[in-house]
Amino acid sequence: MPSEMITLQLGQCGNQIGFEFWKQLCIEHGISPEGILEEYASAGSDRKDVFFYQADDDHYIPRAVLLDLEPRVIHTIMNSPYAKLYNPENVYLSKHGGGAGNNWASGYAQGEKLNEEVFDIINREADGSDNLEGFVLCHSIAGGTGSGMGSYILEHLSDRFPKKLVQTYSVFPNLDEISDVVVQPYNSLLTLKRLTESADCVMVLDNTALNRIASDRLHIQNPSFAQINTLVSTIMSASTATLRYPSYMNNDLISLVAPLIPTPRLHFLMTGYTPLTADHELNTAPKIRKTTVLDVMQRLLQPKNMMVSLSPDRTNQHCYISILNIIQGEVDPSQVHKSLQRIRERKLASFIPWGPASIQVALSRRSPYVHASHKVSGLLLANHTNISSLFDRCLQQFDKLRKREAFLEVFRKEPMFKESLEEFDESRGVVDDLVQEYQAAATPDYVHWNPESNQI
Amino acid sequence: MIHDALLILWDCSQIKTTGRENNGIAYAGQGDAEIFARINIIAQNHHRIQCFVEGNGFQARKTKTASGLKMCGLYSQALSEGISEVLQSYKKTLMEVESLVIGNHNYTLSFVYSYVEGFQGLFHTLNKIITTIEERKRFGCQILSLLHQYILTGDQKVHDAILRVFAYINKVFVNQLCTWLLYGELMDPYHEFFVVSQGHDISDTYLSTPSTTTCDKSLVSTLQETTLESGYILNANMIPYFVPLSLAQEILFIGRTVILFGVDPKKMKKNNSIVLNRTLMPLQKCGIDSRRFTIWEDKEAQFHEKLQKLKSPEVFEVCNLRRVIREIKQCVTKHLWTVAVEEAQLIHELKLMKDFYLLGRGELFLELLRLTAHMLDKPTARTSTRDMNHAFQLATRAVFLSNNADIEKFSFELPYVKPNVSGNSSFNDDSSTVFDGWSSIILKYDFKWPLHLLFTPEVLARYNDMFRLLLRIKKTQHDLHLLWKTYKQSTSFSMCQLHNKLMFLMDNLQHYLQADVLETNFSRLMDAVNRTNDFEKLKKAHANFLADILSQSFLTVTSSAESDYSGDTADSLNNPVFCNIMDLLKLCHSFCSLNEAVTDKEAEDYYIKGYSDRFNTLVKQLMQLLVSLRDRPCGVYLARLLMRLDYNRWLSGEAQLTQSVTNMLRY
Repeated sequence: MPSEMITLQLGQCGNQIGFEFWKQLCIEHGISPEGILEEYASAGSDRKDVFFYQADDDHYIPRAVLLDLEPRVIHTIMNSPYAKLYNPENVYLSKHGGGAGNNWASGYAQGEKLNEEVFDIINREADGSDNLEGFVLCHSIAGGTGSGMGSYILEHLSDRFPKKLVQTYSVFPNLDEISDVVVQPYNSLLTLKRLTESADCVMVLDNTALNRIASDRLHIQNPSFAQINTLVSTIMSASTATLRYPSYMNNDLISLVAPLIPTPRLHFLMTGYTPLTADHELNTAPKIRKTTVLDVMQRLLQPKNMMVSLSPDRTNQHCYISILNIIQGEVDPSQVHKSLQRIRERKLASFIPWGPASIQVALSRRSPYVHASHKVSGLLLANHTNISSLFDRCLQQFDKLRKREAFLEVFRKEPMFKESLEEFDESRGVVDDLVQEYQAAATPDYVHWNPESNQI
Repeated sequence: MIHDALLILWDCSQIKTTGRENNGIAYAGQGDAEIFARINIIAQNHHRIQCFVEGNGFQARKTKTASGLKMCGLYSQALSEGISEVLQSYKKTLMEVESLVIGNHNYTLSFVYSYVEGFQGLFHTLNKIITTIEERKRFGCQILSLLHQYILTGDQKVHDAILRVFAYINKVFVNQLCTWLLYGELMDPYHEFFVVSQGHDISDTYLSTPSTTTCDKSLVSTLQETTLESGYILNANMIPYFVPLSLAQEILFIGRTVILFGVDPKKMKKNNSIVLNRTLMPLQKCGIDSRRFTIWEDKEAQFHEKLQKLKSPEVFEVCNLRRVIREIKQCVTKHLWTVAVEEAQLIHELKLMKDFYLLGRGELFLELLRLTAHMLDKPTARTSTRDMNHAFQLATRAVFLSNNADIEKFSFELPYVKPNVSGNSSFNDDSSTVFDGWSSIILKYDFKWPLHLLFTPEVLARYNDMFRLLLRIKKTQHDLHLLWKTYKQSTSFSMCQLHNKLMFLMDNLQHYLQADVLETNFSRLMDAVNRTNDFEKLKKAHANFLADILSQSFLTVTSSAESDYSGDTADSLNNPVFCNIMDLLKLCHSFCSLNEAVTDKEAEDYYIKGYSDRFNTLVKQLMQLLVSLRDRPCGVYLARLLMRLDYNRWLSGEAQLTQSVTNMLRY
């Protein structure tokens, strides 16, 4: 099977969103929690094999590797109805089970220690596919395992598989509330450096925005992890829809990613999804809303539907580098051109001044086994220069802690920081450069950008 | 004397001659000479008619056929039979007169004349008809037509007589019509019917199917024209004047369709000779398939009866004929719909056409490209076709389509062209590139009977044009995508940007073609198909679909007639937009192959400048084409493409266009 993807789930958060993702895929492809194809799905022409493979007894196994340093989440998965879905050889728990203590350095060090075992699993999984296209890494950047061990794996994936794409779904911490992880800003910044340098494409899932959407759009007072993760799995499944259903375009990951990312480092993508409905609302107050292509495309451009919370762009200087809309449902294809024209006339989206850019629209099928409450739904993948404000906030929080030299002892315990804290400054430099490059990308002079000096 | 007259009138020629010579004959009365002369004229007229009747009767036809003469046939036979029937009353009158004359010797010549005088008008008319037939060499349906013209006459007697004669001929016509309509057989050994089999050489000009009435064939009609393998066409000269062309075409259509149901062309190819000779052997039943008799279900007898009723000249009115034909046609098209759309699953096949010819199954072709790109880059070799099909099978297996029965309907062909021996072709000689796989690959489709009605060779050729263009774009796009990771890791920012521009172009071209052109038109086609249950309308909708996608993909020039690009559908190369797109594809292709070659900074800059300049020129050209094409349909679609390419108005800004072009780009 061409264009297979291997999913790596790291840490508590990574495994949780991964779990939701696989749950969603199973429902969409008509695969039971045990991995057996439901009878009603036997005639489907969908491409299950991008994310699953078939065992000897024909049941479907996800191309997923589950890694964690502490057992809690993985145990929950293994006690769920989906326990039999995964290949038990692909589930790796560190033996001591002590976790990384929300410490990036600890996670990183343990990653280094366990790298043989982890890469054995990954290699075996890679050998099992005919034409592996790349990896999908699910993790959070704030904790210990997902961020630290994730960083280690990211660095070494590109060494070991230089030709494969590495896409990450990275959960950014909620900056609105006070985290119980005090060293979160350190962890985030150290991970951001690896995401900038080693990943090919980062799908930014901002917990701040996800919580905001859950409370504002879905009217959930105190959104639970599960509810937030459903949002994430919706996005993940929609963004892989064109890979999983036969269609005329965007049949492999590269064709989704390449048009979105014109320059090497600006590979942080925002997502948006509309219309969203929460389960509890479906039954109580079914809002009947008309959805058309134009409607969906216009709503996708509104900041409130964006799954990343950006600082307001007061000077109006930021712009889109590229946009890809994946529209699912019953669509009259002639609407696409009209909608594009309308958006262009009304100047609903401003684009970069230094190169060609457009809204690409991919029409994709929807799973026949899932009841859709709306005729048309859409996912937006966008590369926007204002995402730098998110990194800027990370920098500020980092600087606050760093200035006070707070909580550095836990890092000094690990070999990487024993000698010096250079790594912090280096990472800060990388992220700072990234912010500046994004800002430069909003100006016409970006054509003359010099990546080495990080200046125009 | 009187007996002389009677004999002449009875048409005993030897007496007639003697009667002429004996001018000095003794007449009983003074005016007798005059009356005798008149009787003579009637006799002469009768004689001519009698000659014609004898010359065209059944016996005469047999001997003439044996000796291979052409001017004979069922219609003239029927005419002569009709006339001789009409003449019966004349003969009866003569006999009556004779018996009266024998009984009473006092009757004068004028007494005889008074009896036969009434026939003068009839004889006159019949003679006129005969003269016309002989002088203008009318035969077959033309006789029918001629007779019909004479029905309208003031003389009641003549009218009745002609009507009777017409009934005879009409019987032949209706019989022929009946066998043609109900069984698709031409009971027409002398080629007298207005439907003829193409195999026979009739020197007259043919009316080829529908579109000749419109003076220039548009693309749509060309695509609609189905060369039915039965090869029956209309013979315009034979169509009776009272049958309008449209009705004749309907008649032709019904018969063709009936034949179609009777013969599966694939089976028929083997016994092709039988088909051609079948008209000469009307008794031989082609019992290959009993299916054609199921068209009518239980209506066969009903239609037969209705047609037989038309034999009576009172009923034979054009409107009645038309009504029956319409009824039959409705039945036929309904059956055609059932067979083609329901049994042969036409809608499913149409979706297959989109999935394969129009690359609807993107993942399959992506895999196929991975396997075969290296092969298609080279000129085709003898084994190319086999390798290609092998790769196709591998690709279908890879995307888990191999056990799908539809796959077997498709296969590839790479026509092997012997390379020009003399051609140590120079670098800029185009001949070397013409024969590479991309420009010559053919996707073949083995469809179910009777879908050849829709998928004629011409239609498939056009589908292949689309296929080659789409495959080429997909390949170029894929090549560029493959380089993405390389440039992402490289430090050359300008190279990266150039790559990005090319990729942007290909992505958007692809989006335009697949979404704006193919998806949009296909959904329109499906709407049209779902709305109708008339096969003819479906055929038209399909032809429209194909014509639309071709013109919107710039593969044709939909002509505004006067221009120098006259609407030659086959010549796709003269569409300036298409040329431009091909140039862009070439540019991308050479950019992709360059990748490895560049090592030092200086060479890189050189290449970047070269490619960027070429890119800018081509894009500028494309935009300027909009001005020259603005009042053609092609211009509208170019504007659509450019809307996507120039979405953020960067390309138009870069190209530094004149004000007029910039204004047009506002769309």
